[in-house]
Amino acid sequence: MVDLTFSREQNEFRDEVRTWLAENAPTRTRPHDYAEIREYDLSWQRTQYAGGWAGISWPVEFGGKGLSVIEQMIWYEEYGRAGLPGMDATFVGLNHAGPTLMSRASDEQKSKHLPPILRGEVIWCQGFSEPGSGSDLASLSTRAIIDGDDLVVNGQKIWTSFAHLADWQELLVRTDRTGGKHHGISWVICDIHSPGIEVRAIKTMDGEAEFAEVFYDDVRIPLANVVGELNQGWGVAMSTLAFERGTAFTASQVRLASLVEELVEIARTRTGPDGKRAAIADDEVARRLGMARAEVAALRAMTYVGISRSEKTGTPGSEGSIVKLYYTELHKQVAQLAMDLLGSDGLRFVSRWMNNGWTGEYLASFSLSIGGGTSEIQRNIIGERVLGLPR
Amino acid sequence: MDLLPSDEELSIAQTVAELLHRELPRELLRERQNEQTSISAEAWSICAESGLLALGLAEGSGGVGFGLVEEALAFREIGRELAPGPFLSSVIGARLAAEAGDTELVRAIVSGDRQVGLILPRAGATFDGSVVTGEVELVDATGSDLLLLLRPDVSALFDRASFASALPWQSIDPGVRLEVATAVGVEPVLAVVDSAELWARAVVLSSAILTGISEACRDASTTHAKTREQFGRPIGVNQAIKHRCADMAMYSEAASAQLLYAAAAGDAESADFGYQASIARVVASRAAISNAEANIQVHGGMGYTYEHDAHLYVKRARVWANLIGSRTFHLSAVIDEIRVAA
Ligand SMILES: Cc1cc2nc3c(=O)[nH]c(=O)nc-3n(C[C@H](O)[C@H](O)[C@H](O)COP(=O)(O)OP(=O)(O)OC[C@H]3O[C@@H](n4cnc5c(N)ncnc54)[C@H](O)[C@@H]3O)c2cc1C
Repeated sequence: MVDLTFSREQNEFRDEVRTWLAENAPTRTRPHDYAEIREYDLSWQRTQYAGGWAGISWPVEFGGKGLSVIEQMIWYEEYGRAGLPGMDATFVGLNHAGPTLMSRASDEQKSKHLPPILRGEVIWCQGFSEPGSGSDLASLSTRAIIDGDDLVVNGQKIWTSFAHLADWQELLVRTDRTGGKHHGISWVICDIHSPGIEVRAIKTMDGEAEFAEVFYDDVRIPLANVVGELNQGWGVAMSTLAFERGTAFTASQVRLASLVEELVEIARTRTGPDGKRAAIADDEVARRLGMARAEVAALRAMTYVGISRSEKTGTPGSEGSIVKLYYTELHKQVAQLAMDLLGSDGLRFVSRWMNNGWTGEYLASFSLSIGGGTSEIQRNIIGERVLGLPR
Repeated sequence: MDLLPSDEELSIAQTVAELLHRELPRELLRERQNEQTSISAEAWSICAESGLLALGLAEGSGGVGFGLVEEALAFREIGRELAPGPFLSSVIGARLAAEAGDTELVRAIVSGDRQVGLILPRAGATFDGSVVTGEVELVDATGSDLLLLLRPDVSALFDRASFASALPWQSIDPGVRLEVATAVGVEPVLAVVDSAELWARAVVLSSAILTGISEACRDASTTHAKTREQFGRPIGVNQAIKHRCADMAMYSEAASAQLLYAAAAGDAESADFGYQASIARVVASRAAISNAEANIQVHGGMGYTYEHDAHLYVKRARVWANLIGSRTFHLSAVIDEIRVAA
């Protein structure tokens, strides 16, 4: 039944989260150096674990709190509201590899790999994309052949976020080339420090080195590390792609809402296009800010609908693509609006990790409609899977 | 927290959809376009008997006792089905009468005995709470006994007879009757002050109509994209069409999520109800207008004909985008909040 109110327990939970975050959140700004980022993100995860806040909706048996996705969402709402740093390096472990392992891995794989993720001991990365296989992921060609109890991997991955900080990689390899392209892919747990792996960071347009290329030269991975069945990795990969767009998304939505409020503040204090009055007095500026505010509110409503759906059906469904598309395009518009408001301050580069990091934010916003499936691919998914249009 | 309508809530909407489909099939819009009223007296009383005008009224006031959520879901069907008739002004009119304590009038409206049309004051017209003066438009008031003038600060019901000199004006929408009148110090029969909540409810219901229109257009385009073939394949295989449909789905999803949020905020008596309602109108107007316009393009030449329904959605969307505050009006409600706090 449609109802906006949270239960008494949920409100108490929210209060507890807020208090705990206020007392325990990191006070130091997130560092720039990647070795330091690793330590920073992991130590923050360890603090959360020690405080009993890691894996709110993860089952108790894997070290989680075993609560519902609503509590998980409340956590992210408060997290975003407190203006805390994005948990970028731990994201794949917590929101992608973790849920995939939970739904498809063997008991042994689960007990070995899940607890260290929550405890803040390891960083996972996602090795899906290849130079020749981006949007057309299923065409991937990194090869693995069976040799005794091992797979021997040769090939290359690219755009792997945080590969240079990671311990483990969820790796998609081709183990059979005889069937259709969706058949013959295997989902493998890869120790990124295995002999034969070389990681080369790639600098992004905002000057960061967030992702990397990864080369595999006769890399041996135990067959026991295959998750799900051999050659059935496509299904394993698809089973959790939706999770990426589930509750974790709430934090991005809340962060975007506070970016819009910061922009409102800027428009109040800065001189506007006429060189005399505050920017907010300009109708065009006010209209765009008003629209951004309205859209951010609608985005929250969409997020709530998605979470209600997950709560009821166990998955956010293909409709998650609608929210991802809406969020992406909106975030890009907000970043563009910021550039228009900044005037000549738009000449100065300021990293998005710093105060007033609008130019960095703008540069980074280009990645949103590319990573995690491009906006064009999201529109294909909406057209084909939500609306049922022919391919 | 739950923003997914339950089966029970959806079944209310389903019942309304079936009723409207049966009693007010879309062909009627063209058939009745030269009739004095957009909806027949019989169809109006059938809808009233089914409780459609009393869904959100408390049982104590002679209503069905549902919340604004259920009422909004019902009005989404009114939009989807392009149902003609002064539903919104009658529902809000009955509520105004209930607030003013006129139970007899409430009964007369919800039973279908007395219809309430809408007054749309033109620029320059004034209403100070006691008299209305200036040029006004009357919307779907040709079968009405009463007229509703709705504003956040003060709202009122007028006797239709006080606007006897009104002249019909052809409406852009064959399913909506339009008249123009000049009022000189016309007094209401009933007025309430501080009607912000009443206003916000009307904003939500109008957003529901617009959301319904947007969804109908999304569905019409999707169906056409699957079935119409050119170059030997369904036109929906082309991304120019497919992505247009995906954008329609995105606008509708935003409108419907925010509609539910705003309606639930109303039911929870949240302090930000009015604000959320205005946001619902901003996204619903965009969804309705852009989906309705794109729907014509997806249908090609057929979409440009009078016989096809596509134009009816554009026209209804354009009508509702100007009633109970325009899109610009509601956007300024959001902007004012930004500016006022400065
Ligand atoms: C910041 C960032 C982080 C990333 N992190 C990771 C990661 O950790 N792990 C990982 O595996 N990958 C990662 N990626 C890779 C990302 O998933 C791919 O970049 C993305 O899927 C697009 O693939 P591509 O770059 O090869 O572009 P292409 O697929 O070559 O696309 C180029 C253009 O063509 C369009 N296009 C392609 N096919 C179609 C079609 N069928 N219809 C319409 N348009 C089409 C695309 O939309 C795009 O505009 C990351 C990317 C970014 C930007």
